[in-house]
Amino acid sequence: METTNRSTVMAVALGLLMALGLALGGAGLPARAQAPPEAGTLVRAAFEHYRGDASVGTADMTIHRPGWERTMAMRVWTEGDADSLVRITAPAKDEGNGTLKKGADMWLFNPKVNRVIKLPPSMMSQSWMGSDFSNNDLAKTDSLVNDYDHEIHATESRDGHTVYQVRSTPKPEAPVVWGSLELEIRDDHVLLAERFFDEDGALVKELTTSDIGELGGRVLPATLRMQKAETPDEWTELHYQELSFPDSLPDRVFTLTNLRAPQD
Amino acid sequence: MSIELRMAWRNVWRNPRRTWLTVAAIAFACLVLVFMLSFQLGSYASMIDSSVKIEAGHLQVQAEGYQDDREMRQVVRDPAAVERALSGIPEIEAFTRRASAFAVVSSEDRTYGALVIGVDPVHEPEVSSLESLVREGSFLGSSADPGGSGDGALVGELLARNLQVGLGDELTVIGQGRDGSVAATVLVVRGIFSSGIDDFDRSAVHMPLATFQEVFAMGDAVHEVVAVGRDLWEVPEIVRRLRGALAGLSQTPPLVVLDWNELMPGLLQSIQVDLVSGLIFYVALILVVAFSILNTFLMAFLERTRELGVMMAIGTTPGRLGRLLLLESLLLTGVGIAVGIALGCAVTLYFQAHGIDVSGANELLARFGISGRMYPRLSVLSALVGPLLVLVVTGAAALYPALKIRRLRPVEALTHV
Repeated sequence: METTNRSTVMAVALGLLMALGLALGGAGLPARAQAPPEAGTLVRAAFEHYRGDASVGTADMTIHRPGWERTMAMRVWTEGDADSLVRITAPAKDEGNGTLKKGADMWLFNPKVNRVIKLPPSMMSQSWMGSDFSNNDLAKTDSLVNDYDHEIHATESRDGHTVYQVRSTPKPEAPVVWGSLELEIRDDHVLLAERFFDEDGALVKELTTSDIGELGGRVLPATLRMQKAETPDEWTELHYQELSFPDSLPDRVFTLTNLRAPQD
Repeated sequence: MSIELRMAWRNVWRNPRRTWLTVAAIAFACLVLVFMLSFQLGSYASMIDSSVKIEAGHLQVQAEGYQDDREMRQVVRDPAAVERALSGIPEIEAFTRRASAFAVVSSEDRTYGALVIGVDPVHEPEVSSLESLVREGSFLGSSADPGGSGDGALVGELLARNLQVGLGDELTVIGQGRDGSVAATVLVVRGIFSSGIDDFDRSAVHMPLATFQEVFAMGDAVHEVVAVGRDLWEVPEIVRRLRGALAGLSQTPPLVVLDWNELMPGLLQSIQVDLVSGLIFYVALILVVAFSILNTFLMAFLERTRELGVMMAIGTTPGRLGRLLLLESLLLTGVGIAVGIALGCAVTLYFQAHGIDVSGANELLARFGISGRMYPRLSVLSALVGPLLVLVVTGAAALYPALKIRRLRPVEALTHV
């Protein structure tokens, strides 16, 4: 059914959203480029910049709709590219709901029914109701680096930084869903915007970042907003309260036991 | 009675056997047309009825946009007020409330996305055929489920197979509530239904509405108020009156009334395809009848050439003779059509009362859950359209001999054998 596409579970949404959020908000070394860098290198550097070895953070997510808005708070742990754990801390009604992503597998935990559900791959490839992120944005964070050819088509100055406009087109036969992408990357490798175009070149949605400042000892945007082009009054915003970048996390963090019964 | 009419009537019965045969041909064509058209129209009505009664109902009241978007927040805030409006319309037979949400449904070791529908265990059977579609176990809140304990679930046959669950097994449902919160509950499979519509049987889980409203944070709100009228043919009138009655009920998004055609687009097209193939058959039938009647008229004209010659010789104008021949054919056709309509109505009314078994109905329609007995439906339209066409076509056929008279030379005609 068509509508199924737009509706998966909130908890999945949260988990994937956090995966992306951290991916974009993660770590790296600020590097001031002198000459215009090679586009592929720039994108890779930006990707490395926002991806730390491991992270622990708290954030809240606001889903905005005409006449309706909801904010949830959550705590997030990530390690490497593929592992993450999200636990909702507020509102009280949803407290304790959790999502564990380990490799390509994903589990949900709901404290009310006290059960863990493993999501089938078919559901991970869907988008979900109530948010403007799609699972594909979230699950395939490294696709941007590996599946696209990049080209810097413009350079501008903004707030004392050089901003590179990158256009990314899929490599032949790459398993991607977008016709093309546009990125705005600052010279210190902070991603400012990402625009998603369909195969006809029409803008589908846009991710913008703001509140750039120090977060966990690095220069990062604290706020990420995803907005679909068709519905300007609907958006989802992710805002980081705090974020830290330990070298690694204990193995027990990313386990079903921990998903079910938090040990911290 | 004018002289022409009297002469025409006598001429018609000068050869009773031939007249009866022609009358029989016309009558038979009319009978078939009346019955077939009544059957088609009537069976479409029962097809639509049985198809829409699986789920959609004759009409629904929803929040604007819900039909397309299926967003949790697009609710009917005050279903009681909508039901008061429905109660004021005498053509409404029954109505019920529903709410639904897409959710992850999980058994012990399988997980699928499903449409979870909250239904009112008391009123749902009055509106939809859901209760009769239960193949295993029992309907929600029935005697086998004492007190209608709130955690019962009715699962589509294909979904139950996919999830590998049977009666008494537990299902975990996790979705998103109307307020955006995580909605989760555990249900126990009480029944397994099969509608014959794969999409529905593969994706639907029914649960008691009260439990649904609690789990999905719906409050008193629902997504659909579903109604059936006494008769499918009265739906447009009901919709019109309901729109008027709901005009005073304001909410955002506003309420809309959708009829079965808007709820199940595609059903009507399938029926139109079937109707067109029926029309081709009717055209062929009418053409065959037309040629056999043309033959009769032509024979009547040729064997009476001498007689017509005599009438012309004593001063009858060709125009008057033409009128006479037309009148004869009109009387002949009239008798045939009258007999045909009478017999057609009789046959139709018989099957209207007893039904026709069409369990092997065509596949296109089976897709919409159409099977079982069909009932023709006699109406002014179905009783008159076919015979009227026969009248027009035979009238055209009778023109030919009537016009031929003008070329008749009395002298030659008199010597005609």
